[in-house]
Amino acid sequence: MSVEPGGILPSQKARVVDSLQRLLGRDHVLYQPEDLMLYEYDGLSTHGTPDAVVFPLSTEDVVEIVRLAARERIPIVARGAGTGLSGGAVAAVGGIVVGFSRMNKILAIDLENQRARVQPGVVNADLSLAVAAEGYYYAPDPSSQKACTLGGNVAENSGGPHTLAYGVTTNHVLGLEVVLPDASVVHTGGSCWDRPGYDLTGLMVGSEGTLGIVTEITVRLCRKPEMVQTLLAVFDSVADATRTVAAITARGITPSALEMMDGFTLRAVEEATHAGYPMDSAAVLLIEVEGIEEAATEDAAQIEAVCGENLAREVRRARTSAERELLWRGRKNAFGALGRISPSYYVQDGVIPRTRLPEMMEFIASMESKYGLRIGNIFHAGDGNLHPLLMYDSRNPEQSRRVVQAAGEIITRCVELGGSITGEHGVGLEKNELMPVLFSENDLAMMRTIKSVFNPDGMLNPGKVLPTGKMCGELRVSAGAGGPGDERR
Amino acid sequence: MTNAAEVWLAGLASTMGGQQVTAEPSTCAALATGGIAPHCVAYPTTPESVAAALRFASESGLAVIPCRNATKLPIGNPPRRYDIALSVKELNQVWRYEPNDLTVSVEPGMKLGDFQHFLARHQLWIPLDPPGGDRASLGGIVAANASGPYRARYGAPRDMVLGLSIATTEGKIIKTGGRVVKNVAGYDLTKLFVGSFGTLGVIVDINLKLFPAPACRSTWAFHAAALNGTQMFRRKLLRSPLNPLRAVLMDEGGRRLAGAPWSQGSDTFDIWIEFGGSERVIRRSIAAAIELARSVGLEPREIADDEARPGWQRITECNPPPNASGSHEVLLKAALPIDGVEEFLAHARSETGRARVPLACFAQLGTGIVRVFLLPEPPFENLFTLVERLRGAVVGKGGSLVVERWPIEMGPGVDSWGPMGDDFRVMRELKNVWDPHGALSPGRYVGGL
Repeated sequence: MSVEPGGILPSQKARVVDSLQRLLGRDHVLYQPEDLMLYEYDGLSTHGTPDAVVFPLSTEDVVEIVRLAARERIPIVARGAGTGLSGGAVAAVGGIVVGFSRMNKILAIDLENQRARVQPGVVNADLSLAVAAEGYYYAPDPSSQKACTLGGNVAENSGGPHTLAYGVTTNHVLGLEVVLPDASVVHTGGSCWDRPGYDLTGLMVGSEGTLGIVTEITVRLCRKPEMVQTLLAVFDSVADATRTVAAITARGITPSALEMMDGFTLRAVEEATHAGYPMDSAAVLLIEVEGIEEAATEDAAQIEAVCGENLAREVRRARTSAERELLWRGRKNAFGALGRISPSYYVQDGVIPRTRLPEMMEFIASMESKYGLRIGNIFHAGDGNLHPLLMYDSRNPEQSRRVVQAAGEIITRCVELGGSITGEHGVGLEKNELMPVLFSENDLAMMRTIKSVFNPDGMLNPGKVLPTGKMCGELRVSAGAGGPGDERR
Repeated sequence: MTNAAEVWLAGLASTMGGQQVTAEPSTCAALATGGIAPHCVAYPTTPESVAAALRFASESGLAVIPCRNATKLPIGNPPRRYDIALSVKELNQVWRYEPNDLTVSVEPGMKLGDFQHFLARHQLWIPLDPPGGDRASLGGIVAANASGPYRARYGAPRDMVLGLSIATTEGKIIKTGGRVVKNVAGYDLTKLFVGSFGTLGVIVDINLKLFPAPACRSTWAFHAAALNGTQMFRRKLLRSPLNPLRAVLMDEGGRRLAGAPWSQGSDTFDIWIEFGGSERVIRRSIAAAIELARSVGLEPREIADDEARPGWQRITECNPPPNASGSHEVLLKAALPIDGVEEFLAHARSETGRARVPLACFAQLGTGIVRVFLLPEPPFENLFTLVERLRGAVVGKGGSLVVERWPIEMGPGVDSWGPMGDDFRVMRELKNVWDPHGALSPGRYVGGL
């Protein structure tokens, strides 16, 4: 029986802080309230105050921290850059937050074998940058890639716009070094494919720091394509845009990215980034195809034709890499751009089969009128991964409550259409009580069993992923001050 | 048959609701592994009856090996016990097929060849060319995470399975993952089952991602006088923007198995590359590959379609070669660093040369996976040492070597899987949790699990 642990007892704190300081040095242990405040949040607004935040430099440091925490029965929460959107890095019940900002070295790059070995604190984009000159990159590209860390990506199994063709984090991670809650170190997978035995690497990726603490990651590097064609298709109706998505797939084309933004969102983005998006359109698709020159140009031509058949008003092609960059900058900064026009917003993350996009858009529109809310839509349309952004003012508790209700209905609808409650943001603190919407009691019992094998006392990242039973089928986001996605964070 | 066996056989038949259970000796013998045949073969027709059979077996202390066409049965150590062969032959339906979503649900007994045929109606396919070929069942392919040379471009079953339904030894059916191409809800139990060789549960339903089939294909062979030529070519190819459907390096033994006898020279090598896409894409790819090949002294040759198709089949299916001279065959799968295949081939050739054991090699370019056939003749005295030496070379490079076939006439083989790492204790705990009574393929998997 696992116990839901609490944080540090007041009588323990001085002793624990002292031990941590002796282990890591005074500069690498935070424990004063004003320092801890910075680590109360991640990209979700629900907060939790840790008792201490520590910054190890090595796997050995992590082992010692885990050993200390186990002895003192204190929960541990691993944290990368804190950009996660489901509360995965929040110390829900206090305890020690292990920050990986000092474990940020690229340990080895081996291009002939298409591999890199990194520490978990390496920033996603920095890895691609390190191998760019040689024509390689690391494929998963979450929108926060300039800040988020690979350790956090592994914990959340992060995606990104280009995962449509290349897969999410789990498809690019081959091996891990992991510190388990009993302070033992295990190595899963390796740098070669197909190591015999259960795929513990695959199980660990996406486990949100509840099964172990990852201290080293071996990833696959991909070769940059010869040519990339970026297209912007402009539509006068949302329905035409969503129909185009399925039509592209039906034509046998797999774009490397297929993103959609509705008119409301793209106007906010255009005002913020001047990416050249048409201010008067109802929706745009941002589509990318790549490969050898012949493949990219053929696919681009076919996509132009499909867009035309589905009543696109205009299809533009980026002519230079600068134009391409600009189109993507708009997309990747979209969340921030919406922050300019609404005091708060709440980003949802749901998945549906891509052919159900047209009816899902109608449903989301009906939620706008039912709850009197403005909802911006920005999707990884190609893989049916929706990110509706619900605009509100977190100072208004009534509005906050309506946002949570509308978001809950949207997520439930995703599941009804054969989809999932999260495509890439993770379950974390936000959706663990929603897990029974997707999984049966038998399914969840198996997940609990898995957790009990790795984390029998529940000391690693307590209160995440699995339902606690304290709430029933609800999203957990703070209403009121500092509400969901509050931009003041 | 003992009285005890008769009693549990009757119990199994009634548990499964009168579905077919046979103890007919030749049927059982056909599903033997490691020299051990089961007492009976059960053919459940529903996922529920699979679950009921597993629960019955687990509670009765019986051992079950899930199977279909027996293409994976030779892989793994001899079972400690083997009472029931659980054939998923009757579970072979496709359902929830959504061509525009590129997703499908399919039962585990569906054969790969039939499935590809089904998908071809919509110009779709599942890009897998595993050992066993068209005869391999999807359940077996997923349970073994089996792949072939398409792996470098498209990935393995691990990358294509969106979700599974699993019958457990508790008699339950659990669901992992989902039906959509992107999903991070909860622990990724799907990964745990893919490649677990039927030791944790029995797959009763598979949700798969589908792919558009290439419009055209073309195969070329590139002939090299030595391995340093193939290495230079491989490095250039992998650094180039070319993205062929598959590429395999073979020695003269491999060439013979593939039925490609035109290349000459016993110490020479061929690389087969299949290009796919539109005609224009293929034309450009071939021109670029020829240029790369000539720059390092390789000689290109087009393989006609009617030769390419059966050639690739023989390369990928890994069927036992025709047994003309009383020789036997061991099949090894080495997983190496991508850049280590030529060195391994040279090493394998010198080791087998010393032991006077003929061999045939197929090395995938871009994954580092090499399949090695050893074709020894009796007596098989040095074989054990030979395989251990080859394994030592692979493990020394950070890879693994799996014995995928070791004929029982050759006596006890080496451990099929090789040494385990420091994460093995976690694997053992997981096995204990899912299969506490050791009902599923006991002793067959890594470390004796």
